Amino acid sequence: MTNPVRIQQEDFSQDQEITALKASSLRIGGIATFLGCARDFSEGRDVSEISFEAYGSMALAEMNKLRTEAIANFKLIDARIVHRVTTVRAGDNIVFIAAAAEHRAAAFDACRWMIDELKQRVPIWKKEITPQGDAWVTPHP
Amino acid sequence: MIKILFFGPVAERVQMRETQLAFAPGMKLQDIITTLNTQHPHAFDIVSFTAVNQTQVYDMQMPLNDGDEIAFMAKFSGG
Repeated sequence: MTNPVRIQQEDFSQDQEITALKASSLRIGGIATFLGCARDFSEGRDVSEISFEAYGSMALAEMNKLRTEAIANFKLIDARIVHRVTTVRAGDNIVFIAAAAEHRAAAFDACRWMIDELKQRVPIWKKEITPQGDAWVTPHP
Repeated sequence: MIKILFFGPVAERVQMRETQLAFAPGMKLQDIITTLNTQHPHAFDIVSFTAVNQTQVYDMQMPLNDGDEIAFMAKFSGG
């Protein structure tokens, strides 16, 4: 079984992540997921590719902390966080987050909390490659 | 030695990903910042986060130890 928190170049399978999550307990009553994927535009410009860079060791440690905090604070049964660090094209997967709980409210709340916190706390940066040139992305709320 | 790492937009501005500075007893984080900011002021304009040994720090008077790893980072944009 794969590690529930990963940074990887290759694509991930949502089905495999959910299967792994469901295998952790039969008490799970709801799983909320977030899939972040690459757009082909940004602020009025065409975007051909997005390139990611991470402070790998710190990013992974912070993602593990996020998962631990989410499980404790939202009383989750389990959670998974996978982020790709590579160059992606429009439509490609970037990040997958899943929160499993006994009931849906905790799963939804935890899933939203994890992606919001990831954006603020995990040292990963993305650069958009456009026909007009490359630009590092300014964080969005 | 103190190992210093740069990533993403900061690395682009300093035009390197890693450098080292000699450790001196009593050295503080602010000493490193002052030295590097003098050399690369445009890079430090966008530094929003500083980490020592993979942990974010807020006290720039933090004493350093020989072998510490420091990262200067712009705002994150993952996800």
